[in-house]
Amino acid sequence: MTDRCPLCTLARRRGTLSRVIRLENVRKRYPGSDFDVLAGIDLTVESKEFVSIVGRSGSGKTTLLNLIGGLDGDYTGVVEVDGRNLRDLGDAALSAMRNRKVGYVFQAYYLLDHLNCEENVAVAALFARRERLRDRSKARRRAAEVLEHVGLGGAGRRRPTTLSGGERQRVALARALFHRPAMLLCDEPTGNLDTETGAEIVELLRSLHRNEDVTVVAATHDETIASACGRVLRIRDGRLVNGPGSGE
Amino acid sequence: MIGRGWTRTVVVDLLRHWRHFAAASFGIVLGVAALTFFLALGLKARGLLVTQVFPQDYLEVAPRSADIDLFALRLDLGRDALDPEALAEIASVEGVDAVYPKMRLTVPALASGGESLFGSGMLTEIVADGIDPELVSDEVGDTFYEVDALRMSTPCRRDDQCDDVSYCDVSRSFSGGVCRPYIPVLVSPYVVELYNGAFRRSYGLPKINPDSLVGLAFEMEFGASTFRPSSLPPVRERMRLAGVSDKAIPLGVTLPLGEVRRINMALASPEAGDRYHSAVVEVGAKDDAPAVIDAVEEMGLEIRDRGARRAAFATAVILFIVALVGGVLILVSAAHIMHVFYLVVMVRRREIGVLRAVGARRGDIRALIVAEAAVIGFAAGFLGLVVAVAAGAAVDRFAAGELPDFPFKPESFFAFTPTLLASVLALAVIACIVGALPPAYRAASGDPSEALAGR
Repeated sequence: MTDRCPLCTLARRRGTLSRVIRLENVRKRYPGSDFDVLAGIDLTVESKEFVSIVGRSGSGKTTLLNLIGGLDGDYTGVVEVDGRNLRDLGDAALSAMRNRKVGYVFQAYYLLDHLNCEENVAVAALFARRERLRDRSKARRRAAEVLEHVGLGGAGRRRPTTLSGGERQRVALARALFHRPAMLLCDEPTGNLDTETGAEIVELLRSLHRNEDVTVVAATHDETIASACGRVLRIRDGRLVNGPGSGE
Repeated sequence: MIGRGWTRTVVVDLLRHWRHFAAASFGIVLGVAALTFFLALGLKARGLLVTQVFPQDYLEVAPRSADIDLFALRLDLGRDALDPEALAEIASVEGVDAVYPKMRLTVPALASGGESLFGSGMLTEIVADGIDPELVSDEVGDTFYEVDALRMSTPCRRDDQCDDVSYCDVSRSFSGGVCRPYIPVLVSPYVVELYNGAFRRSYGLPKINPDSLVGLAFEMEFGASTFRPSSLPPVRERMRLAGVSDKAIPLGVTLPLGEVRRINMALASPEAGDRYHSAVVEVGAKDDAPAVIDAVEEMGLEIRDRGARRAAFATAVILFIVALVGGVLILVSAAHIMHVFYLVVMVRRREIGVLRAVGARRGDIRALIVAEAAVIGFAAGFLGLVVAVAAGAAVDRFAAGELPDFPFKPESFFAFTPTLLASVLALAVIACIVGALPPAYRAASGDPSEALAGR
């Protein structure tokens, strides 16, 4: 295990960091498959950590992020987020968690091309249960604010199809940050970008982690991201291979 | 989208897939247009039949029969009479001006006489009913009226010693008679037609002018029958024909209501005086007739009105068939909508995954799809209504210019009522929503990760 976040280590030792993610013996097998894509994962992530999960394609990184983010409910073992066992949550509670606490950044951006950037960023407001987030002017202000934050201040009215790959990933990042999530889950955030643009996104993630007090878990096969993170976990054939209790 | 949120999302989604939805909506437009066009035509035809061709300002209302055939017998399991409470309920219906009860004679009767008309006397079993003279006052004037048949007045020996409306009854005394009033009766034009058409030929009798019947006197013996002996002494009265009316019983004679009530109570039972077998309802305005008919039928009663009833039934059948065809068209369109939504949901699988990832609940996804279907239903339904109304206007214009005038020719052949338009529009929206429900549930099923992976 490589720990590049001395402050986190110190805080953990002092007990001032709380566990935000806990996985215990998590296994997952896709229907029709004859092997476990996750084969007994134990992992703990503290609040405000920046953790990277590094592994080759097909090693189970995306599946692991999906389980943590409550996007996939078909597994065995225990997945706890913010102290709550996800298996105990119904659709409404899981959706609320995704809406308020979790921000996703996908490798393929998954922007909605028929909406402009501002609308893409604020799409979560459609499903917000809090009046504060459904307010039209507040949502628009917040969307402009996060777009500005990711360096796309003037791009609110543009369609994603008119943007470069790096810009699209910034919009996706802005969408993930719209609700000020406690946890940012990034699945290969630089996977579709060239080296220079990828480095910009990594720097942006580092900056967000520093300034927004957000826990970041990034799945990647890119060592550049890994080198920027506080803690690096390596996954191979569905197992974390940093050693026993590597998640800890 | 911000603020306008859902509305814009729905509209944008529809516009993105407008080709698919336009193709699916075509059936809805066609179905709604056909259904509206023919229903409006049928409603107008029904209105014309009820209010003009067969004017229903007078409706005969009777208890609904519930006949069951059992071997040679037919059992009527329904109620067979109206009581005063039922008459009061009918009178309270909006649009009803007056209610005239009718009472059937519930004892047998024999009629005899007719020498002046047929050349020799005849004796026949006869049926009778009683009506309120007020009901026919417009037709026969004051010649049909309630009489006090028990009144015994001036002693006499011959009819000419009595006044114009009485005769000298010598049957009840050996020493002389008393003047007693004739009981006025009415016959139906059908009786005259039956006589002139078939009866007179069988017996070689002359054809008669209905007007010449007025004033014809004959005797009736109530409680007497050639079929079976009576346990009570019969009541003999002398009748005089006051006129011909289509409100009279079709076969038999119609007496003043009070007379029938008196005879029923005397020879049948005291309770028989409160049992009416039907009632004639006077409707204030002809246009109110359909509503009055509906209200009366809701009371478990039926309308006994020959032409109008048949016409109303025929138009109801036609309306039902038209509605069925239009409904099937809309149902088929709903199935088409379902297929299109399945396709669209499949195309938007990843997009739905993104929405789930940012917090959409399954119900949100379902609501989104259903809202889109509702908009399609409303838009296609509205377009269908426009097509129907436009087609109706074209037909009216053609009819006004090209068709010759004929009785009851209306200015418009269609009744595009607000209720009809709203109902068909609602049907289109409901059909689309129902069609979109299975794809909506499919879209919301599974985990978001499956949708994101396009599975």
